[in-house]
Amino acid sequence: MAGGGSLKIERSKRGKSGKRKKKKRVGFVLDMTPLVDITFLLLTFFMFTTTMAAPQVMEMSIPPEIVKQVEVRKSELFQIYVRNDNKVFYAKGTDDPQEIKLKDLRALAERENLQPNVKNRLITSLKISDEASYGTVISILDELNLAESKITEEITKENDEAGNPKKRERRFTIAPLLEEDILKIGEL
Amino acid sequence: MAKIKKKRVGFVIDMTPLVDITFLLLTFFMFTAKFKSQAESEQKFVIKRPVSTPVDTAGMPDKDIAIIKIAIDSATTDTTYFYEMVNEQDRAQVWGRMENFPPEYMDKHQIMVNQKMLDELILNTRLVRPETKFAIDADKGLRFKWIADAMELLRKNRATIFNYVTDKKQ
Repeated sequence: MAGGGSLKIERSKRGKSGKRKKKKRVGFVLDMTPLVDITFLLLTFFMFTTTMAAPQVMEMSIPPEIVKQVEVRKSELFQIYVRNDNKVFYAKGTDDPQEIKLKDLRALAERENLQPNVKNRLITSLKISDEASYGTVISILDELNLAESKITEEITKENDEAGNPKKRERRFTIAPLLEEDILKIGEL
Repeated sequence: MAKIKKKRVGFVIDMTPLVDITFLLLTFFMFTAKFKSQAESEQKFVIKRPVSTPVDTAGMPDKDIAIIKIAIDSATTDTTYFYEMVNEQDRAQVWGRMENFPPEYMDKHQIMVNQKMLDELILNTRLVRPETKFAIDADKGLRFKWIADAMELLRKNRATIFNYVTDKKQ
């Protein structure tokens, strides 16, 4: 190894002088191969066992058990239905339900929530069939959550009477699909 | 004249930069590694979670959380509820408060439950520590009925704020 030569010279010098001097090692080399071996082994182990995608959570709040009936104006109601076959429908107020594609839902939610007459008062009600898949429901909730950022931004632009920015009050409820709803969206 | 190929004897490569970078990566992976909890190693099923848009602030809380897992059991191929609690002291207390609790469940971290037991478990969890967060971790292919029933039990026990566990959308 390369270090051998220099060490030898040092040793011969020491022999001549007789006295033990504090030696200064010049250019000594450490064989790092075993160190690298073990480090790579550990590195590969940790690399293969690590899962990077940690799960995340979506917060949800549901209304508590109904104690008293809340009066709701039909015009302030925005209903989303999910049918057995995972098809999504929406209805505004007392209108007839219409089918909507999942990817258009965000734009629709933004538009409906920012209508001047129901702004910040619109109640979104999600009615889900028992047979619908959980994945679809999460996709819908995700789209509605995404719409929320634009709605909040638009609403906080305005000021209330005291001059403070308005607060977004999200009204959302999740409910089972009733017989009458099934009748309404059944033939579509 | 042909060049004579020199045979290098005992040549040395400086491995210092290699060691530097390897150690750096090693320490990174070592510190970011999170080991499987006992509950997860007891688990015999895989949950294909639904995906949602990644949100920075929506990491899974790891303290005082109770998870309701809804999955297809590999042994029976039936959909079943599983209940899991992260806080060990709370778990021991909740398990201890249960009536007609199967003795073999006592030292388990994740237990298979029916709706009646789930109701009792949620109630006891709420009594032991009211601020416990609940999470529903369900397979995306499941009928919504399973989730709606679990939500109804949470509502009944006045745990009206809870979480859905999802995977990040790529």
